[in-house]
Amino acid sequence: MTPIRVLFRRFASLFRKRRLDAELEEELRAHIELAAEEYRMQGLSPEEARRMALRAFGGVTQTHEQYRMERGLPLIESIWHDIAFGVRQLRKNPGFTLIAAISLALAIGANTTIFSVAKQVLYDRLSVPQSAELRLLRWNGDSNIVLHQMWGDFDPTTDGGMTGSVFSYPVFQQLKNHNSVMQDLFAFKEDSMNATVRGNAQRVVVAMVSGNYYAGLKVRPQTGRAIQLSDDSVPGAGAVAVISDGLWERQFSRSPSALGQTIKVNGALLTIIGVNPKGFTGAKNVQMSPDLFVPLTMQPLIDPKGKQGALLDDQNLSWLNVMGRLRPDVSETKAQAALEAQLQAAIRSTMTLQAGDTTPRLVLADGNRGLHFADGIFKKPVYVLLTLTGLVLLLACANIANLLLARGAQRQREMSVRLALGAKRSRILRQMLTESLLLAVLGGVGGLMLAYFARNAIPGLATYSWEHAAANMPFDWGVFAFCSVVTLLTGTLFGLAPAWMAAHTAVSSSLKESAQCTTRRKGIGGKSIVAFQIALSMLLVVGAGLFVRTMMGLNAVDIGFNPDHLILFEIQPPAARYAGTKDVVRLHDQLKQRIQVLPGVESVSLAQTAYIADNMDNMDFLPEGESFAQDSRQGKPDAELFNVVGLNFFKTMEIPMVAGSSFGAQDTATSPKVAIINQALARKRFPGTNPIGKRFKADRNAASPWIQIVGICANTHYASLLTAPPAQFFLPYVQESDVRGMVYQVRTRTSPAALAPALRHVVQSIDPDLPIVDLRTQREQIDATLQVQRALAALAASFGLLALALACVGIYGVMAYSVVQRTSEIGIRLALGAPPVQVRCMVLRESTWIAGVGIVAGLASALVLTRLVRSMLFGIGPYDPVTMASCTVLLLAIALAASWLPARRAARIEPMEALRHE
Amino acid sequence: MPERKSDVMQGTLDLMVLKTLESMGTLHGYGIARRIEQVSANSLSLNQGTIYPALLRLEQRGWIAAEWGVSETGRRARFYSLTASGRKEIQQETENWERIAATMARFLAPSR
Repeated sequence: MTPIRVLFRRFASLFRKRRLDAELEEELRAHIELAAEEYRMQGLSPEEARRMALRAFGGVTQTHEQYRMERGLPLIESIWHDIAFGVRQLRKNPGFTLIAAISLALAIGANTTIFSVAKQVLYDRLSVPQSAELRLLRWNGDSNIVLHQMWGDFDPTTDGGMTGSVFSYPVFQQLKNHNSVMQDLFAFKEDSMNATVRGNAQRVVVAMVSGNYYAGLKVRPQTGRAIQLSDDSVPGAGAVAVISDGLWERQFSRSPSALGQTIKVNGALLTIIGVNPKGFTGAKNVQMSPDLFVPLTMQPLIDPKGKQGALLDDQNLSWLNVMGRLRPDVSETKAQAALEAQLQAAIRSTMTLQAGDTTPRLVLADGNRGLHFADGIFKKPVYVLLTLTGLVLLLACANIANLLLARGAQRQREMSVRLALGAKRSRILRQMLTESLLLAVLGGVGGLMLAYFARNAIPGLATYSWEHAAANMPFDWGVFAFCSVVTLLTGTLFGLAPAWMAAHTAVSSSLKESAQCTTRRKGIGGKSIVAFQIALSMLLVVGAGLFVRTMMGLNAVDIGFNPDHLILFEIQPPAARYAGTKDVVRLHDQLKQRIQVLPGVESVSLAQTAYIADNMDNMDFLPEGESFAQDSRQGKPDAELFNVVGLNFFKTMEIPMVAGSSFGAQDTATSPKVAIINQALARKRFPGTNPIGKRFKADRNAASPWIQIVGICANTHYASLLTAPPAQFFLPYVQESDVRGMVYQVRTRTSPAALAPALRHVVQSIDPDLPIVDLRTQREQIDATLQVQRALAALAASFGLLALALACVGIYGVMAYSVVQRTSEIGIRLALGAPPVQVRCMVLRESTWIAGVGIVAGLASALVLTRLVRSMLFGIGPYDPVTMASCTVLLLAIALAASWLPARRAARIEPMEALRHE
Repeated sequence: MPERKSDVMQGTLDLMVLKTLESMGTLHGYGIARRIEQVSANSLSLNQGTIYPALLRLEQRGWIAAEWGVSETGRRARFYSLTASGRKEIQQETENWERIAATMARFLAPSR
């Protein structure tokens, strides 16, 4: 108790220093007066009495000092002195402080921003209690796996097999009912649907969840109630929805009256029963929350799929993700073994296995980040960015260390005087480190502010530009802590060497007049730091060059159609309202006709698949005279990419026809079936023959009609710009038996924003519940698929520029300093008759030498590191000679330019002045 | 801030101050110094100034309280008085001191 009270009083006294000092003074004066009075009474003269009183008292000043030591906290006070002195030092050199603080702020800001992105993309967990217990059920299968129909998360493996995390509803039911090794298993599926919320038709993401989903995740709505077992028991009975915090904010302005209101989802009315807590994103991912959560058994009503519409009793389609929590009393391996056995039984009891079919093996995967789907896409770019920003930070540190070293040389006399007056070396070390940390804190505060404003400027890596950006970029304590730690580390890193130098100044030598001579050695230290800086810059500039050239290559790709002045949007007619293909086709026809006549619209078409949108559809393609290969994985592939399109698709997209004719008015639902193929398909499947007039089948049904090829069009890119234009064929939608949602292409010179009201009016006049989905331009669509590349190129380029600027400052600083140090030497050279040109060349030669060493080192490390990003480059190799050569030239030029001023100054030194300077 | 280890002299001075205040009641710094000199019959060479850091220490620990007042000769001075916890402390310190003195006495006895 007592020590705390003492500490507290001592601390409090720090803030009343002046008053306490005055009080002490008065008290001591009173003491002396009282003593003197007593001596006077004994008969001494006033002067004598005062002298005696002072003698009895001892040293007044010493008492003061001792008193102060006891009163305050000496350590804090001396640190405070260090800080105050440091601030004075920084204010004395505003230019240096500004450069150092700005470069640090940029570097720390870049690191903090990239860290906040990385944290969210790679490390954040689902915001549910005890997320570490969550396990996602996954399976691995070989090439003969019995599962053929899948919707959702599955991937081919490198050895020809298949891996995924989707299960059929009957399999999920069996797993759940027979589960005794994990806590309750729950299922979920996210899909986009049309919804009308408070009169606004819009596209929403809906999570269909099993009745035990909320209980399993241990999540409670912030208001209202959760979906429970009774909502999910009978198909179609639980017409309820829990809405996300985001939707509540967007559509209901967080009003409690949202509860009990109804939402129309694909024609079905759902009652809002609750609002999810803020930050809850569902079980699938950690980035964005679905807008609505509804009972799984509502699927046949709101999201009918396939011929029957209901997936709940479909035994062949795997589409549900299943999760559960581990039980504390059952080990993970035991749980996995038991569930594996149950999966085998469930698959055998629900599916018919043909000879040779194999069943998948079950694995429990970490579920605390959902399906991890972001990892595959963003992991590598984020690591690259973290590395680049780390290098930038190192560069900024080297830069400041260099500036500090040069400044330290100027302050050698100050340090010598302090040491001579008895300052401890540790005290000087502390003083210098305090100054470095002050600089770092300046930079850190700037960096934090920069990161705060930059975090939303970083293109939302997971969202498209035309979507409402609901991705919540976190700016939390984790980010703040990261920023603080980075700041302190950098301060120590760049401050340590200069502080050490300062603390080990030789007292006698620098107090002598010719102190300059002793500093040559440190000049060399500075030069190696500059060479290091140049190597780092080279690395960063090469990285920037590679990514920028990748982006340039992608921009220069010939897509095969004209992507300018093209607006895209989607119309998804719900099956509940448009049951038959006839109804759907009539809707599309109506829409097309009305849009066609809007002012400013040149041409309209539609297609099943949007181009350069990372989507693809394939279908069997079997020319007459060929038979299906027994095993498509061994023989030639029977399926080809295809698209179902409107009759004037090629005209609207401006895809040239190479041979034959395009679709036309003569092609109707009842006329003979026709197709157009592209050149790549002609070359691939009809080598050496003319495909026009040839017939093929698009399925394995012997009774289906033949389709005749009537034309060949030029090649276009399909899903992405990153792969070569693939083989494709095109079918007119009027001849298709199953037509659903389509993407519209509108060729117009009007902007999407200007055209949108007219488009909405057209759609609403036909069906008020039908939303226009994802209205965007084709250019925006292409940019969206290149977001990662674009972000990488833009960020790498800005880091490269920053690196160049820092290298420039570094070379200039060290060369200017070196010229000042060598003033007398250069003066002697000039006095002995050296022409100024020679002196200038000498300085330039030195900086070129430093730059050369740095460039070679940077190039060598670049050659090693760029191989790691080979897969992220497009059109160039990791050793791209153009990038390497131009970066070398650029850095040499920068080095020469930065040392030009110091070189000129050296050549203009007046010999006499220089010698007097000594 | 760790408690500074009091050397014997310092601890002694603290106890002397406390005892003085116990027997004399409220007193200013000079009065305390004079009283200690008188009691020790000038056998201590004490710089009067050294009692001020001691007074501060005792005050920080809450054993004595200080207050500005006017001396018998009409001079403004700071007056110190013992607090309740100070009284308790005297008791403890006295026992402690007696124990040390007794121990020391046993060590010193045979050489007499």
